Amino acid sequence: MDSHFSFFNSIQNFKLQRSSSMESRKAAIVEASPSISVPEAFLVNALCVLGLAFAVWAANTVFSIDLVSHPSLTLFFISIAELPIVILLYSRYRLNRQQCTYLRAVARGVLGVPIGTLLNFLGAIALGAPVKFQYLPKTINWALMMSVFTTVPASCVLGSSWADWRRIFAQTKPKGSIEYLICLPAHGALIGAWFGAWPMPLDWERPWQEWPISVSYGTIVGYLVALVASLGFILACFRSQHIKSD
Amino acid sequence: MKQTETTSSSAAEGRKRGKWGYIWPLWTTLLLHLLAILLFTAGFLLTRTELPYHSQCSDVSRSPCFSSNNGSCWTKPAVNRVVLIVLDALRFDFVVPSTFFAEAKPWMDKLPVLKNAASTRPLSARIFKAIADPPTTSLQRLKGLTTGGLPTFVDVGNSFGAPAIVEDNFINQLVQNGKKVVMMGDDTWTQLFPHHFERSYPYPSFNVKDLHTVDNGCIDHLLPSLYEEDWDVLIAHFLGVDHAGHIFGVDSTPMIEKLEQYNTILERVIEVLENQSGSGSSHENTLLVVMGDHGQTLNGDHGGGSAEEVETALFAMSFKKPLSSVPPEFDSCSIHQDLDAMNVCISSMQQLDFAVTVSALLGIPFPYGSIGHINPELYALGADSWNSDASQKLSESDVWMQNYANALCINSWQVKRYVDAYSASSAVGFSRDEFSRIASIYAQAENHWSHFTKKLLLDRQNNSNISVSALKEQIDAYFKFLTAVTELARSKWTEFDLNMMGIGIGIMLISLIFQVFTVLRTTKEHDGTLSSSGDSWIVNGSILTIFLLGIRAFSFLSNSYILEEGKVANFLLSTSGVLTLRQSVIKGKLLIESIGFLILSTFCRFAIEVGLSKQAATSAFMKDYTSWIINIASGLPVWDYAAEVVPIAVLILLAAWLYKASSGSFFDWPWKYVILGTILSYMLIIAHWITDSNRFDGALIPQSVGRTYIPRIIYAIALGQLLFLTFGQLFKKSNLDCKTDLVAKTTSMLSAWSSTVILLSGKQGPMVAFASIFGGCFIMKFVNIEGKDGPQRSFSIMQWSLFATCLFFCSGHWCAFDGLRYGAAFIGFEEFVLVRQAILLTIDTFGFSIILPVFGLPFLVASMYQTNLGKHFIFTQLSQMYTTYGLITAITTTFTILCVTIQRRHLMVWGLFAPKFVFDVFNLILTDVFICLASIYYFDQGREDPEVKSPGG
Repeated sequence: MDSHFSFFNSIQNFKLQRSSSMESRKAAIVEASPSISVPEAFLVNALCVLGLAFAVWAANTVFSIDLVSHPSLTLFFISIAELPIVILLYSRYRLNRQQCTYLRAVARGVLGVPIGTLLNFLGAIALGAPVKFQYLPKTINWALMMSVFTTVPASCVLGSSWADWRRIFAQTKPKGSIEYLICLPAHGALIGAWFGAWPMPLDWERPWQEWPISVSYGTIVGYLVALVASLGFILACFRSQHIKSD
Repeated sequence: MKQTETTSSSAAEGRKRGKWGYIWPLWTTLLLHLLAILLFTAGFLLTRTELPYHSQCSDVSRSPCFSSNNGSCWTKPAVNRVVLIVLDALRFDFVVPSTFFAEAKPWMDKLPVLKNAASTRPLSARIFKAIADPPTTSLQRLKGLTTGGLPTFVDVGNSFGAPAIVEDNFINQLVQNGKKVVMMGDDTWTQLFPHHFERSYPYPSFNVKDLHTVDNGCIDHLLPSLYEEDWDVLIAHFLGVDHAGHIFGVDSTPMIEKLEQYNTILERVIEVLENQSGSGSSHENTLLVVMGDHGQTLNGDHGGGSAEEVETALFAMSFKKPLSSVPPEFDSCSIHQDLDAMNVCISSMQQLDFAVTVSALLGIPFPYGSIGHINPELYALGADSWNSDASQKLSESDVWMQNYANALCINSWQVKRYVDAYSASSAVGFSRDEFSRIASIYAQAENHWSHFTKKLLLDRQNNSNISVSALKEQIDAYFKFLTAVTELARSKWTEFDLNMMGIGIGIMLISLIFQVFTVLRTTKEHDGTLSSSGDSWIVNGSILTIFLLGIRAFSFLSNSYILEEGKVANFLLSTSGVLTLRQSVIKGKLLIESIGFLILSTFCRFAIEVGLSKQAATSAFMKDYTSWIINIASGLPVWDYAAEVVPIAVLILLAAWLYKASSGSFFDWPWKYVILGTILSYMLIIAHWITDSNRFDGALIPQSVGRTYIPRIIYAIALGQLLFLTFGQLFKKSNLDCKTDLVAKTTSMLSAWSSTVILLSGKQGPMVAFASIFGGCFIMKFVNIEGKDGPQRSFSIMQWSLFATCLFFCSGHWCAFDGLRYGAAFIGFEEFVLVRQAILLTIDTFGFSIILPVFGLPFLVASMYQTNLGKHFIFTQLSQMYTTYGLITAITTTFTILCVTIQRRHLMVWGLFAPKFVFDVFNLILTDVFICLASIYYFDQGREDPEVKSPGG
């Protein structure tokens, strides 16, 4: 009941905003974060999930590879499949729409890939990822996937605004719905990866305990959970805004 | 020391809180921990006292039994020579035919020679399933095999570092009775029996990756030795199967190759013995024994009590005309058909019975502490030589039975004697009820013997049928007694006292509550004085601390995490580094430091990995030098050279840094001289290394001076520095403010310890010291990351503690006894003095992980506040820090204790959990002790600063 109600509410809200956006365009530029309506957020999340699911499915059936047998190839495939979806979707919600075209946001997102890969790679090494030569491609491909989940959406939306990056990734104080959509999944992926590392030392001798398979599973699970959670947060955010505006 | 405390506390009377007021919770904690650990250890670490007595030939006249009268010792010798081939980690299924099992595996049927001998000559060759007692490690098993006892985890009386067996044993009895023993193979034997062998060809056993050195050495000497006449017992110990299991696992090609190689060798050995077994030849009366000391799991692990590990095989073969049959009552064998449809008879025995049975066969006194019984089937293999003097009226099996009954009589008397002696002399003997039960069983059996059987045996003209049944009765009575003793011994030496353990855990929990209470009380006091607290980051920081601590503590519940503890600690350290980085990004300061901290923890991680790889690759009990720098420096000469030069360069850097620090204005006379002394010590260390290495030949100082005197001078300087610091503190009235004073005191204390710690750690010492200085500085700076208002105390202390743990692993240690660097105990000293060497070993093991971190903790307080807040405030902070640090250590140790309690039946309990327990408990006590010492040192009774600013104002 409650969720239905809020869903309708948000649709109304969305319509209201659409109509009012024309008048307050000037204000929207000043506002730090553009907002995203609940159905739109739902759509973005759904597309991300579908993209991921498709990538895993296609890897399994079309190329008949999976994380356990070919971790590095599969990770690469997942990243490649998910990357355009993420970039194209998130670039629509870029900040400063006036100065920044859609294409530029896409370019920023593409730039976020190597940076994110490097950061995640270094982080993985610092936290104990194996450095032997045979593990190098696995680590790099894992870092690539992590960058798709963490830095790429952020760089599409935020660009190079250090203050925003700091606010979202260090302080975890997202403002507005779109920032929830960046902040939560990124943190979810990181925390999931952290927990995914724990089964690795156990002596169960399962093939999935190898680096980076369990960590990748952790990442994906964390990411998915956080996507769902972010929807909840956006809903809550809208309701509070709604109450405020009342 | 007690005196000064009481005077100080009385001097501080009337003040708000005297020195004693800060210190007493720390001492109470120490006492509580000591009590808890003492009780728990008494219940958990099964101990057995080694008795120094030895059996003598003449002892047997005191027994009620017949002693053999033809000049030999306790029993009539049945074999003259024994060839004992020990195949390390021989699984039971390596030997028996695969039809014995539900499914044939690739590693089965690879030793067909043994099986064929047993099937073609069932009376003179036998295969036994030999069941070992845990701990199933080679050293403990060899000890058990030769002493006939049950070695426990802690055998009181075992000498430190040198594992030589002091208890009476089979090898010792051989030597005492003029038998000559030749040994080849695993050098553990020469460690256990350093002076017993006529000839020995030991080969190093610690390199697990080396499958062939020991075995090839054995092979080279085994066959020629068989033709020699100069030995009575020949021992050949092959290690290849054990190593192949450790490296490749059981189901692997190297394992199968090893087994096939053994098969060929055993074929040749049997052939040689066979050819020489004619009447008058050298092996006329020889017994061949091929046995495993323990089994192994499919992964090649052993140490615990799982069936795969304790079940090993024993093959025995005699080369003379065999006894026609063993009386069926004593024949436990089960017959199986092998692949060629031949019957193979497989019996079962306890490894415990090996020592006494072989002693009985050779006719030497049984080892004093043996509690096994003579195995009838193995004993029967040497039977036929008695026929000659037996009267013709009795069948040979009856003669054998008479002999066996007498041997068992001696056996029971010897076991009873040991039980009596053990109860009398051991601090924790058997319980009274148990003891009297055993005594009554023995009395019964002996009664039967002296009133009935003895007469029967003396009067051999009696009807043989009656005699046989009476003998069987007698033998059963002895069996009953011996079984009861074995059961009692197993329960005593392999079972835990749960009540004691429970009480210990209870007291440990009480101490935790006490510590938490103390921390909370000081926090409240602190909050009372410092008004502006309650920042969210404090709460945040505490939650993170509890989270990290909880994860670390819970990780001890699994053996895998204990095995990889270094990596886990480092993972958590890096995580805390990431969290700090996050915090520093928020605050926009100390970015370089937090990145530096992450890089440092990455370096630590590589050092830990090198250490862990070494841990996996060693099984040696004694190693002289296990610093990782040697490990790295094997290969290129450039590396070699760098490994010599870099530590020296780093040490010079450290000295320069200390010099610079000491030239600071606030370093007064006592501190300044201490630091100068340390710099001198560093120079001496460099001189020591230069003389020690063979790279710099033309050194000015002769090697002996460099080796022994320089380290001793360094120890003397360090001792002098410590005394100087203690007394300097009593006489000196500082005119500096409290905080600067604290920094000076801490720096000089650390520098006084550092020279010894670095010297003992070897070449890696300066690097680890360097890393610890950097890590310490970073953590100190992070304390202030929130600004003055929100000191993230607990998180910094947690970081400090994690870093200390990482340093333990970085400096090439791990929580196992083979992780101790025994070589460090002998730097500067050649001969062994228990206390002195133990102190040196302790300083080496815990120098970087306890001594330096605990004494360095005041830096965290000193860096916390920029302004001087007065003595009382700083001391409150310091005592809180020490309590928190102690609490963190206590919580992890409590979890280790809980986890050993839960996992006490785990197969790794002796291999992994118990060493971890010992290390953690030692770690906790040592931490507590050093915290107490540090508290006496740092909390001085000097006057309150005149210019006290009111705290928080």
